Amino acid sequence: MVDSPILELEKVSMAFNGKQVLRDVSLNLHKNETYGITGPSGCGKSTLLRVVNDLLSPTSGTVRFQGKDVREWGPQELRRRVVMVPQEAKMFPGTVRGNLVWGLNVHGMAAEDEQLKAILQEVRLWPIDLDGNAENLSGGQKQRVAIARALLLKPTVLLLDEPTSALDTDSALAVEKTINSLLSDYQMGVLIVTHNKEQAERFTSRVLELENLSEAS
Amino acid sequence: MQLDLFALLQIPEQYTAMLQRYLAAMILLAVLIIITKWQGIGIGNKLIVGTIRGTIQIVLMALILVYIFALSDLIVIFGVLTFMGVFAAYTARSNLERIPGVMRATLPAILVGALSVMAVTIALEIIDWRSGPGEFIIPMGGMVIGNCMVLTSLVIDRMWSNAQKQRSLLETALALGATPMQATELTIRESIRSGLLPNLNRYASLGIVSIPGLMSGMIIGGVNPLEAALYQVIIFIMIFLAGMIAALITSRLFLREMFNERAQLTVPPPEL
Ligand SMILES: Nc1ncnc2c1ncn2[C@@H]1O[C@H](COP(=O)(O)OP(=O)(O)OP(=O)(O)O)[C@@H](O)[C@H]1O
Ligand SMILES: [Mg+2]
Repeated sequence: MVDSPILELEKVSMAFNGKQVLRDVSLNLHKNETYGITGPSGCGKSTLLRVVNDLLSPTSGTVRFQGKDVREWGPQELRRRVVMVPQEAKMFPGTVRGNLVWGLNVHGMAAEDEQLKAILQEVRLWPIDLDGNAENLSGGQKQRVAIARALLLKPTVLLLDEPTSALDTDSALAVEKTINSLLSDYQMGVLIVTHNKEQAERFTSRVLELENLSEAS
Repeated sequence: MQLDLFALLQIPEQYTAMLQRYLAAMILLAVLIIITKWQGIGIGNKLIVGTIRGTIQIVLMALILVYIFALSDLIVIFGVLTFMGVFAAYTARSNLERIPGVMRATLPAILVGALSVMAVTIALEIIDWRSGPGEFIIPMGGMVIGNCMVLTSLVIDRMWSNAQKQRSLLETALALGATPMQATELTIRESIRSGLLPNLNRYASLGIVSIPGLMSGMIIGGVNPLEAALYQVIIFIMIFLAGMIAALITSRLFLREMFNERAQLTVPPPEL
């Protein structure tokens, strides 16, 4: 028997002030699965991820996480399990360490430096000065801190919005490898937005291609 | 006999001098408005409306102040303070008209902050108000309320513009499961700090740069200078405390205007 999906989108539509961005998007994500989302710029990929972790409510349709409508989850409870790394992931004012544990802290959890070191090694960001100012990191370093910060929460669904756009191929591969190795550890499913066709082919098992509704009509 | 029409229309000399002074001040106001227009600060119209409104308000107030100062019933006095608090919240709202829900956040904050501090001060007889309740409590309350008004509108203005400018930082925080409170903690702290800064400056330069009106009034009115000076320190502490309470309450209440119950950001991007 096949597992029931951890995440189900059923005919999700989204419009901003009458402008249709998503129309009837449906998909199922299972654990241990990496699902790609592609499409031209402005077609609604980031919007779709925001809808999934309830940063935006869709104009129609349902998103279910573990069989339960996301509207029935407490927002914080949901987003601790369905964690999103936004396209423009920002650093919070403070140290690299403070940024890594930021997500844990808001849920009353903490991490030892050893744990931080382990995850940073995985995403090839070790050695790094944990007490350094996070704002001084490069764009690609920030991206990896943002991914590590999300992974430390041990999410059930990880939403990645162009997570490696500022990384060289080797670092991108390392990030992919890390996520792949954590899939079964965390019993996790991944929804990844990417422009990169090669990344989609090697890293994802299925791909949903969105189209630009405003240009099509 | 010739009727001296001119004499009938004549304004007493005392008033003409006063009007001349007021008109002279208008030249300064014009300079101020030109500077704000030139620098694109965009408050020129508010200054004009504020001047007209302020003049009417304070003239009316001056005329009835005698009666208000003569009040001795604490309940009536607190009624007056409440009215002042409502007016302060309304003023904060009308100066931040681009931001929704200001009054819902400022009104409870100003009333609770200012009135509770005034009540404690009176109950503990920190100020000797019995010799003239209206005369002591109302101007003091005015200062406390006025400061609450300044602080609450600063806090709201900051929270709002930060949320507009730092949408992706807020989104990053929310996407990790932060509550609106956690996501805005730093902003709130900063905005309270910057709101308290003018107070701190006045406090630090007390008596040397800032010679407070109340103390001057008391000394002119024959109160022992030492007593008047200590009063002024007390008032400053009250102003701080009330402002702090009001700022905290306003920040909590205003979060509800910035986020909905699903902890989604409802602040729109900055307007063009
Ligand atoms: N809060 C919003 N209010 C109004 N319109 C919005 C809002 N968020 C997104 N849009 C619009 O929705 C459309 C889709 O935006 P979205 O960010 O989801 O695109 P995207 O596919 O992620 O693009 P990119 O590949 O460039 O990141 C755009 O036209 C955008 O202008
Ligand atoms: Mg996008």
